[in-house]
Amino acid sequence: MNCEELFDKISGIEDRFTALERPLPNRIYMTCEAENVYELNRFLFEDLGLRFVIASGCDPGGYFEVIYHYAYDPEGCLVNLRVLVRNRENPVLDSIAPLLPAASWIEREINDLLGIDFRNHPDMRRLILADDWPEGVYPLRKDTKVAGGGVEK
Amino acid sequence: MNWKIWSLKKSPWVFHVNTGACNNCDIEVVDVLTPKFDVERFGIKLVGSPRHADALLVTGGVTAQAAPRLLEAYRQAPKPCVVFAIGACACDKGIFTNGYHMVGPVDKVIREEDPNAIITYVPGCPPKPEAIISGVVKALESL
Amino acid sequence: MDTSIEREDRLMMLESLKNVFWILVFPGLLFTVFLGLAASWLVRKVSALVQWRVGPPVYQPFADVMKLMGKEIMIPERSNRTVFIAAPLIGFSGVLLLAAVLWGAVVAPAKMPLGDVIVALYLTVFPSLALILGSSASGSPHSSIGTAREMKLVISYELPLVLALIVVLAKSGGNLSLAELASRTPVLSISGCIAFIVALFCVQAKLGFTPFDMAEAETELAGGVLLEYSGGLLAVWKLMQAMMLVTLPLFLVMVFLGGFHPSVWAGIGKYVLVLVLVILIKNTNPRVRTDQAMRFFWIYCGVIMVVAVVLASLGAYFYIEWL
Repeated sequence: MNCEELFDKISGIEDRFTALERPLPNRIYMTCEAENVYELNRFLFEDLGLRFVIASGCDPGGYFEVIYHYAYDPEGCLVNLRVLVRNRENPVLDSIAPLLPAASWIEREINDLLGIDFRNHPDMRRLILADDWPEGVYPLRKDTKVAGGGVEK
Repeated sequence: MNWKIWSLKKSPWVFHVNTGACNNCDIEVVDVLTPKFDVERFGIKLVGSPRHADALLVTGGVTAQAAPRLLEAYRQAPKPCVVFAIGACACDKGIFTNGYHMVGPVDKVIREEDPNAIITYVPGCPPKPEAIISGVVKALESL
Repeated sequence: MDTSIEREDRLMMLESLKNVFWILVFPGLLFTVFLGLAASWLVRKVSALVQWRVGPPVYQPFADVMKLMGKEIMIPERSNRTVFIAAPLIGFSGVLLLAAVLWGAVVAPAKMPLGDVIVALYLTVFPSLALILGSSASGSPHSSIGTAREMKLVISYELPLVLALIVVLAKSGGNLSLAELASRTPVLSISGCIAFIVALFCVQAKLGFTPFDMAEAETELAGGVLLEYSGGLLAVWKLMQAMMLVTLPLFLVMVFLGGFHPSVWAGIGKYVLVLVLVILIKNTNPRVRTDQAMRFFWIYCGVIMVVAVVLASLGAYFYIEWL
């Protein structure tokens, strides 16, 4: 199938996500809320057969975002699924590691740096922060003040 | 001149330490050690163990995880030993100045352990192999 | 007026002074060390020329050893201190004895009744044994891997080397003395030529050059068998390796290529030829794994050597020179 058909298939399940954009012929951006993350990832990976590339975690301000990037290689089409986590005190998402074992490390990294908890993650350990970094301090959150080489909150 | 200093100048064996660099400076250091630049003319040889080394080529601003390991490598290098801070990050943290994970540039970390350490700075991002060779030769001449 | 007893005493004193000179200066310790460091310079210079670069100046290996003597010696806490310090000295004295035996057979064969090929073969194991002792006394996991590799390598190459010597002995009719063997040239026959090539590979492994340098340089990712050595002890190891560069090709020259006959210059030429062969093999080959080395020495070299031994025995039995 080409990008047109891909777009049509995705817009077929309109009720699961809150926004759908197509700024370029081969870029499809979807936005959804935290409850639908596992179902939409399963749809993109299993039903459409896209390839999972990586996930990104951001902190734009009042909420957290986790963007899952998928690729459709025969046409060079990128599908980005943006998940909004509105609960800032206790951010929780369903982990997609049971579906995609390749996602387990990037979820560990997002947990280290942004503090988003992933339910059902098979192996949640510290990944990239130093061994003696204090627990509960998430450096990439906007409200964490860190000086170069140290921590002050 | 003292035979020890003469022989140290004529045969500096180097050991490469990466303390959290982006690898650009590491690529340039490895370039220096290829046959094209022929540093064996100066007696420079890459050794695999810090215990055989006379010079530590340190790249990267020192991260919190790497700082104790850099100090361990420095302790294991038999004195007299020269430390070369290669690249902007090693000289003064470079573009990672405000990073949460940087403990300090190389000289701050090493001088905590040994205030009399001999440290040479080769700035650049990354420094060209010719700049690295020139820095090493100048440091040896000033010994 | 000298009585005959006093003259005898003076002659004996002169004789022992001459022996001390031969052992310590020429052609003993100092001469072999000097020649060994010059040979290691030759190795580095030829390697550099093969790679189209300039290479180190003539005094480089001497500066290396001097620098190592001037640095501090660090002994790891978890090591076995006695064996750690004794191992380089054991290796060094073994190579020194080997040099004495070989030079003795060249210079004054009549005075060396113990200088036969079995003693020389026995002494060539000393450097590898000392390396194994030293690295296993280091107390570090990387050097214990190096120990295991060196042991496997020693087990691999000793068999073809002994078979090669059996070929030589079959041709010489069982005569063991080095001086006697040095007057023949077994390489001018089929089995002798095969034996020389196999012995060259065994010497390459003994010297620790590529393609068989897995013991020292492989864990160059972290240091190898000499990982924990520094300063003066490392200098002794380097001197030992430099002296091996003299004694092992000299051993090959005397046993296979006919020693220093018909003239001294021919002998020097043969030594340089063997050294250049070793350097060229070193520069044109990558490093092999331990199991590949074992397969090479036991299966390929071993089978070829058995064929060569059979040919040599037939040649000796039926008096055919070229077999």
